[in-house]
Amino acid sequence: MSIATGQATRPLIGQVAKRPSILSRVIAHRTDYLYVLPAIIVMLVVIAFPIYYTIELSFFRTPPNLQMRDKIWTGIDNYRTVLSSSVFHEVTIQTIIWTAASTFFAFLLGLGAALSLHREFIGRGVMRALLLIPYVISAVAASYVWKWLYHSDFGVIGAISVQLGFTDEPINFLDNRQTVLASLIVVNIWKEFSFAMVMLMAGLQTVPDQLIRAAQVDGANAWNRFWHVTFPHLKGVSMVTVLLLMVANFNSFIIPFVMTGGGPADASHIWITHIYQLAFGRQQWGIASAYAVILFVVMMALGYFYVKALTRGDEARAG
Amino acid sequence: MSNTQGRPARPRSPTRRQITAIAMAAVTTASLMSSTAYGQSVDLSQWSPEYIRSIAGTETYDTAGHCASVVPLDYTGRLTYWWTGPTEASPQIEHEINDAFWAAWAETYPNIETDAQNIDYNQLLDRLRTTLLGNAAPMVIRLQILGGVEFASKGYFQELKPEDIGYETADFWPGAMKSVTWDGTTYGVPTNNETMAMIWNADIFERAGLDPEAPPATWADVVEYSKKIHDELGISGYGLVARQNAGNTPFRFMPQLWAFGGGALDEAEETPSYEQVYLDNDGTKAALQAAYDMYVRDKSVPTSALTNTQNENQAPFIAGQLAMMIAHPSEYAKMVDLAGQATGADKEVADTVVENMRYGLIPEGPERRAVVFGGSNMHFINDEYVEGGFDEQAAKAIACFWNSPEWSTKLAWTGSNPGNLAGFKTEWMKERLDTIKFLDVTTSMLPSGIPFPVIPEATEIMNIIVPDMLQNVLTERMAVDEAAADAAAKVESLLGGGL
Repeated sequence: MSIATGQATRPLIGQVAKRPSILSRVIAHRTDYLYVLPAIIVMLVVIAFPIYYTIELSFFRTPPNLQMRDKIWTGIDNYRTVLSSSVFHEVTIQTIIWTAASTFFAFLLGLGAALSLHREFIGRGVMRALLLIPYVISAVAASYVWKWLYHSDFGVIGAISVQLGFTDEPINFLDNRQTVLASLIVVNIWKEFSFAMVMLMAGLQTVPDQLIRAAQVDGANAWNRFWHVTFPHLKGVSMVTVLLLMVANFNSFIIPFVMTGGGPADASHIWITHIYQLAFGRQQWGIASAYAVILFVVMMALGYFYVKALTRGDEARAG
Repeated sequence: MSNTQGRPARPRSPTRRQITAIAMAAVTTASLMSSTAYGQSVDLSQWSPEYIRSIAGTETYDTAGHCASVVPLDYTGRLTYWWTGPTEASPQIEHEINDAFWAAWAETYPNIETDAQNIDYNQLLDRLRTTLLGNAAPMVIRLQILGGVEFASKGYFQELKPEDIGYETADFWPGAMKSVTWDGTTYGVPTNNETMAMIWNADIFERAGLDPEAPPATWADVVEYSKKIHDELGISGYGLVARQNAGNTPFRFMPQLWAFGGGALDEAEETPSYEQVYLDNDGTKAALQAAYDMYVRDKSVPTSALTNTQNENQAPFIAGQLAMMIAHPSEYAKMVDLAGQATGADKEVADTVVENMRYGLIPEGPERRAVVFGGSNMHFINDEYVEGGFDEQAAKAIACFWNSPEWSTKLAWTGSNPGNLAGFKTEWMKERLDTIKFLDVTTSMLPSGIPFPVIPEATEIMNIIVPDMLQNVLTERMAVDEAAADAAAKVESLLGGGL
């Protein structure tokens, strides 16, 4: 077995390094490429082809009486239709509210839980396990449970609020255009905050105890210790967590789809559920594809920042 | 244009040859007509609860013997089949009959390897669409009555008529045959046909000061009764269903729309052209206004109507918290099941509800009494789209077996009616009528049945545009006129090839 060597191309100290060509680097690393080849093939089949096909479809119209192979070329009409549609504008605002609020509050709650669980106290293990439950529970099952908790006629939350005298009649969480999105965001935060908690708990392990103790000796109060010592160490992991939450929330489907199907009157549609409705409910595959390409571009932008955040440390070390 | 080629012009009076030809044509036509008449299993012109009872149990059928003449019983092959069968919400007897069917099928055709998938009603169309794109569809599929035309128009289905599987076209409801016909060609066989009825709780009616044995006669009465029940007892009157993207909504709202003279297109007319949009006419607006009055003005229907399907109405009904709803005949069996599962004080309430359950005709409106002519159809998918290729003999065998008078009746036991009209003459139909309460009421709604428009755009119109229109009104996002105009514009655009 040969060992592909980075050593051979590494310049000696004091020498001017001549950068090898791409081909020679590929040849030098041929074994590495062989190892990743199966994964690349799978990715091409299951990721690259659907992306290509979606982009292609976005330039065609697909009337309900024609098969996909008989689709009609429309150029950029689908993009124009999507971007000029008032429903798209409404759904975009809802998507932004959904993503921003879910990400912000899930991160905030996760941070609070992580800081609490970072301390030693009796029952910490049990608490950690309990707080992880929302993350491991099936999203579909959770959505159905929450749907019944919220139910406008027989929901537990509504019944309790009436019994305690907070309201005269059950609160209308899901069948009201004004409250439905906020109600779904609460469910989403409940489902996601544990993820932020786990990530930040891992980040907290990297904060040196000596620094905290030194700050304590210097008379820093709890807030100052957190703000000036702990939080700077969490910056990297926080960035990654926020970006991952944002990507997950932009792509979130199960909770709004199961609980309301995007209703009432489109008030809880976000991009992904709207795309689903256009494609599978209305068979407007071309329009849905154009919509999906727009979402893809947004996702790519977020992905770019995610990779930047991940590699920032590596670049700093390499630089 | 003339082709006389110099010959004298043809005399005005017919020649002997012409007279012979006309006579032959008349005899042939009469013969065809008479064979159709004789071939028809039942006389639809006499349809009534009494007639249905009079023909039930008058004939016996040998299912295996008949199907053997279509496909030999020792045929060896493979079958893939999708349908929507019993769900958790179905009464227990539906599960038992389903099991009995598959056992009988395996016994009759032991050498046909069968992969049958029971797929949820709201997912079946999407799954078929997706698998067709990947040429991974099943050989045979049973789809809701509304679903088939989209696929037939796209060329996914094979031509298939009752004669191909040993039955006659005249053995099926004309309306049902219309639903499997696209562009003059028949693409399926109706498996079952159903119409719903109005169910009410006589005890609630009495406590609210209404006549416990009289259902609302008109849709205006429904609005009035619903308000009275809510005001008197603080519970929901009518079980409105208005969820988006769900088949339940048009099945319950369209009868109201048609009764007022509205429609999606002109499907309620004698000879529909499916080209005129009725969504913004006065009838549609009146129906929307009635729904608005119940939901927004009177608050006499469940608040959760916007996220509910009919399944979510079952719990409040058995708990005595809902007085009226539109449902299948199977609802009674379901309520009996639910009452059987209840314990303690709940059991007492549930038993009272079952005891006080009544079925009546769906109310009429200023224009007509109407109900959705529902049901399902069986289709064969073209070979090129079928995973592993199409096995014609296996497909014909299941179609013959499923649509036999015996199984057509048994598989529609609590929720529907046999697609094969000969099923109405079987001993099993008699047993159904004797054991299932109110079956004659729902069955007698069949002549008031109106099929959804038989056009490829029907699913989008019924499952998306109509529920959206209703939600726009109920959430007060739009006024009645605006919502009707918005929906009509969407349908016109869709039919015109736009979005």
